[in-house]
Amino acid sequence: MGADVPVIVAEHLTKFYGSSRGVVDLEFEVHAGEVFGYLGPNGAGKSTTIRTMLDFIRPTSGKITVLGLDPTTETPELHRRVGYVPGEFGLYERLTGREYLKTFTALRAGAGADRVEDLARRLALDLDVRIKDLSHGNKRKVGLLQAFMHEPDLLVLDEPTQGLDPLVQQEFYAMIDEARERGATVFLSSHVMPEVERVCDRVAIIREGRLITVDDVGDLKAKALRTVEFHFEGPVPASAFASLASVVDAEQRGDSVLMTVRGPLDEVVKEAARHPVVNIETREPSLEDIFLEAYRNGAEP
Amino acid sequence: MSALLAKAWRDHRRTLIGFGLGLVFTQLLYAAFYPSIKESAADMNAFMERLPEALRELYGNDFASPEGYLRGQLFGELGLILFLVVAIGAGARAIAGEEEARTLDLLLSTPVRRAEVLRAKAIALVGLMTVLGVIAFAAVLVVGPPFDLTVGAAPMAAATLMLVLLAIAFGSIALAIGAWTGHRSTAIAITTAVAVLMYILNALGGTVDALEPLRPLSLLRWYMVPLLLSGGLEWENVLVLAGTSIAAYVVAHARFTRRDLAS
Repeated sequence: MGADVPVIVAEHLTKFYGSSRGVVDLEFEVHAGEVFGYLGPNGAGKSTTIRTMLDFIRPTSGKITVLGLDPTTETPELHRRVGYVPGEFGLYERLTGREYLKTFTALRAGAGADRVEDLARRLALDLDVRIKDLSHGNKRKVGLLQAFMHEPDLLVLDEPTQGLDPLVQQEFYAMIDEARERGATVFLSSHVMPEVERVCDRVAIIREGRLITVDDVGDLKAKALRTVEFHFEGPVPASAFASLASVVDAEQRGDSVLMTVRGPLDEVVKEAARHPVVNIETREPSLEDIFLEAYRNGAEP
Repeated sequence: MSALLAKAWRDHRRTLIGFGLGLVFTQLLYAAFYPSIKESAADMNAFMERLPEALRELYGNDFASPEGYLRGQLFGELGLILFLVVAIGAGARAIAGEEEARTLDLLLSTPVRRAEVLRAKAIALVGLMTVLGVIAFAAVLVVGPPFDLTVGAAPMAAATLMLVLLAIAFGSIALAIGAWTGHRSTAIAITTAVAVLMYILNALGGTVDALEPLRPLSLLRWYMVPLLLSGGLEWENVLVLAGTSIAAYVVAHARFTRRDLAS
């Protein structure tokens, strides 16, 4: 597959469960080799989108193409090249982790069998414990392991880090980085913004079944609102800043002016320089801010 | 054996060991009681005479011969119930059980088609009931003779085959309902209700003239307890039971390969 052929293409993808909304008219492409974040709160339609990719559910209308294949007809070919971690899943509780993964490597014609031990060591997972005796976090590790072991071309991860402790999360991020380095594509649904910021190249934000944004993480941040606070030697009226084009909102608090700025800070800094400045505090817009703003507006931020 | 089939078969391991041992144990127990039953054959048969005609219709009049004794327990009562319970449980678990336990998503995320999963589950169900049938057959032939409970291997094999086919038919119905709805308890409840209704219909159909025309709707009518162990196989009966299983499988396939799976 050439680098210019998208790995996932959603075309007017729509899914209703009876009369209740799943996703509506989704249009997006995921490019080869990128880590694509899929953001939204619970119930927004993240899992619905993912489940159409793997043919667990069928679109009501529109279609989704994954790795150039139609999930509804070319299912085994597609699944051979995909690693999947569901948002919620059960495991065969009576098996040990090793027996479970042996079953799955067998179902994958042996693919990944040689990587099980190594991945288990990295995730600090004891393979000899019966799954029913594993903690929630350790069960999640088994899920991660079966998705990564066969080095798939596409990783589809639905809220993959829930229940993992911070150290294991770091190891998971390293595994994502390695997947990216070998050219794999990652589709990662999440509502943990720092995680998305840490690993994703591009993100889509989904709200009530509809996409409201698809953009580079960097561009989103550049376009986003940030908070800036200037501490002056004496009181400075907020009105001097409020009239600037890039300032959305300004407020005087004693000797400080607190403002919300969109885009470059140039104008604001030049205006502030007319007064004696003691300190400047500026907070990078987090993806969380962007996300929340997009959600409030329900449109492009 | 494919990885899928190996997996589906392994799912039955505990059921197989548990119910296999249970079968051997109950057959041993029943065989041990046989001599005392036989000694009081006259009393037993007098007792049978007093039973409602419907029950006699089910088990035959003779409770004291080895054949009659086996018809009354392995093929008509405890053994029959055991086989149906195992088959209905296994059938309901096959798809719906995995779906409810949320293990089905991961299983189906491997390079397998839904139809292949369904097929492996169905084959494993047939395998499970067949092995339990072989255990019951062997148990009767091995533990029976020391207690004078002696039946021919050929009629015993034919009767066991009918028992296995009946169990597979009900198991297939449970599998189909589970594959259709995704709900294990629904599959168990409906199939059990159907089995009980069929049992009653067959029992009453023999005596209540008005119900006689409906009797062929009961799978128990084709299982024909009174004729078991008395001769060979009635191919018509074999075909009805096997055909029911095949029809249930076709229905399960039609729906399960197309429907949305529960998350």
